[in-house]
Amino acid sequence: MVENRPLANLASHLILIVGVAIVAFPVYLALVASSSDPTTIANGQLGLLPEGHLFENYWKVLFEGTERSTKQPMIVPLFNSLVMALVISIGKISISLISAFAIIYFRFPFRHTAFWVIFLTLMLPVEVRIYPTYKIVADLGLLDTYAGLTIPLIASATATLLFRQFFMTVPDELLEASKIDGAGPWKFFKDTLLPLSMTSVAAMFVIQFIYGWNQYLWPLLITTRDDMQTIVIGIQKMLYVTDALTEWQLAMATTILAMLPPVVVVVAMQKLFVRGLTETEK
Amino acid sequence: MAEVRLTSVGKIYSGAVPAVKDITFSVPDGGFCVLVGPSGCGKSTLLRMIAGLETITMGEIRISDRVVNTVEPMDRDIAMVFQNYALYPHMSVYDNMAYGLRNRKTPEPEISARVAEAARILELEPYLERRPRELSGGQRQRVAMGRAIVRQPQVFLFDEPLSNLDAKLRGAMRVEIKKLQRQLGVTSIYVTHDQLEAMTLADQLVVMNQGVVEQIGEPLSLYERPETVFVAQFIGAPPMNMIDLAPGGGGPKGLDGSSELPVPASGARLGIRPEHLVVDEDGRPVPTRPGDIRLELAVDAVEAVGAETYIHGRLGGDGLMITAREHGKMLLPPGTSRVFTARRENLHLFDAATGRRVDI
Ligand SMILES: Nc1ncnc2c1ncn2[C@@H]1O[C@H](COP(=O)(O)OP(=O)(O)OP(=O)(O)O)[C@@H](O)[C@H]1O
Ligand SMILES: [Mg+2]
Repeated sequence: MVENRPLANLASHLILIVGVAIVAFPVYLALVASSSDPTTIANGQLGLLPEGHLFENYWKVLFEGTERSTKQPMIVPLFNSLVMALVISIGKISISLISAFAIIYFRFPFRHTAFWVIFLTLMLPVEVRIYPTYKIVADLGLLDTYAGLTIPLIASATATLLFRQFFMTVPDELLEASKIDGAGPWKFFKDTLLPLSMTSVAAMFVIQFIYGWNQYLWPLLITTRDDMQTIVIGIQKMLYVTDALTEWQLAMATTILAMLPPVVVVVAMQKLFVRGLTETEK
Repeated sequence: MAEVRLTSVGKIYSGAVPAVKDITFSVPDGGFCVLVGPSGCGKSTLLRMIAGLETITMGEIRISDRVVNTVEPMDRDIAMVFQNYALYPHMSVYDNMAYGLRNRKTPEPEISARVAEAARILELEPYLERRPRELSGGQRQRVAMGRAIVRQPQVFLFDEPLSNLDAKLRGAMRVEIKKLQRQLGVTSIYVTHDQLEAMTLADQLVVMNQGVVEQIGEPLSLYERPETVFVAQFIGAPPMNMIDLAPGGGGPKGLDGSSELPVPASGARLGIRPEHLVVDEDGRPVPTRPGDIRLELAVDAVEAVGAETYIHGRLGGDGLMITAREHGKMLLPPGTSRVFTARRENLHLFDAATGRRVDI
């Protein structure tokens, strides 16, 4: 429906602008705070315009660390978070693609059972199975390792379901044409199924990257050493300082830094989405 | 080049009723065999068994003297064109054609030579870099053909390759396929439920019904001498008129001359093609010879399409609906009663019990 009523247009734009402002204002404020010096914030004089300490604050938080709380340069937890988010999202996608492929294209005993077992794990996120999972990871000696941080979060029913759904829409004739063209199952997966799934993969990557990046409870349990911390926990630790003022300008700089990678991922993947939406593959 | 030979081939899907029963025929080297029959009669199943996409429950399939029952599709040296083309959507036209060759480790210069040749034959040269979705239906169909051609297989298999095209394009592609097959001389098996396509393409026509072969032969011999009621009614448009006769040769009201026919004890069905019914013009009766059949029809509807006229009328005034086809324009007013004559040599007689042909 294409309408051209100036008043309605104006109203809808107003509503959208207000919505954007509500979301964007706190982020803007964090940016302003991350450019100010400690005394301004402590005195409650934070204005609405950025101040001149931006690079100084970011440099400090990235490579030197806070003076009073953790005293850790934040580049390390940023890196840890990146590794965790990447391993979780790529791991989830790979495992899900392969299990969905097996469920749809192979006839093996208990195929349906396998599918329902995967489906059931939807009801068992980490938070529910946290104690047994912790115990297993601890017994395997994986505390304070990337493996311990990521592997328990990789199994994914959501992505398996999504890919299964997508594979069911791929016409059987494509598989048959591949067979006649001399492609075995693996070649069919690699040459046909995977390229066709690219938009779903991109969608899953965004969702799972953000899921991995925002993990809080699990890293909190599993990591004890400072050099294995993730950025979300880094922020949290920065905020609680005993017998001193929180260094808000640094905490805000960290927050902004923590927001950047998911934004980059969304922006980068957005192209793929848009292409997927506009040029429907038949 | 290869001969395809089927011996007592049968297929039962997961324990249920058989989809294909005891089929035996062979397609000579370079022959064009068309499998035709109503929907659900097992044509696709049979073709897919030849392709290796379905397991063979019983019997034996040979391609150039090699039993292929358990051979993988890619090792059968066949190429298949699917009804919905099954082009790889993410690959260019070139890659679609080259994919099978690459999987067979054909050297790249050879691939590009073969694709170029196929593109030239099929007039696809301007589209080689496009994706399938950027092509029209007819162009996609040609890409699917190209994918089959470049492989230089021993056998082409087609499963209703033209049924997604509009009538005009279908006619044009039909001619193309026939020309191409002659030119390349590759043994071909073609599935369709369109009898016009079947008649025009086939060297050898296999009419199937409910999983069994009704008749095999050249298209015209099937038209002229159908062995069963099913074939008689399936081949030819409009379909053959069928009139039930009692054991003594007695027929319904309005039918004259049937007592001369050798009607078996179980009764018979008399078949007359619409084009073999000649109308008495302006009260001048067509001269009859012994054994000819005369039908009195009350004209119901007349369809004049220019070169010919279809006359639909009721036998004996209110009986069976009979269709006649006359040359030229013949504008009979509906409601009038006319006598139509069919020559003895144009009659088909079938045993009412077995449905098989009885010689006249
Ligand atoms: N995978 C299957 N499982 C069970 N039954 C099947 C399967 N495929 C086909 N059939 C049955 O086998 C019979 C023959 O099917 P087939 O697809 O060969 O028909 P067809 O002659 O190609 O018909 P159409 O002209 O509609 O394509 C049908 O009764 C169908 O229901
Ligand atoms: Mg079919």
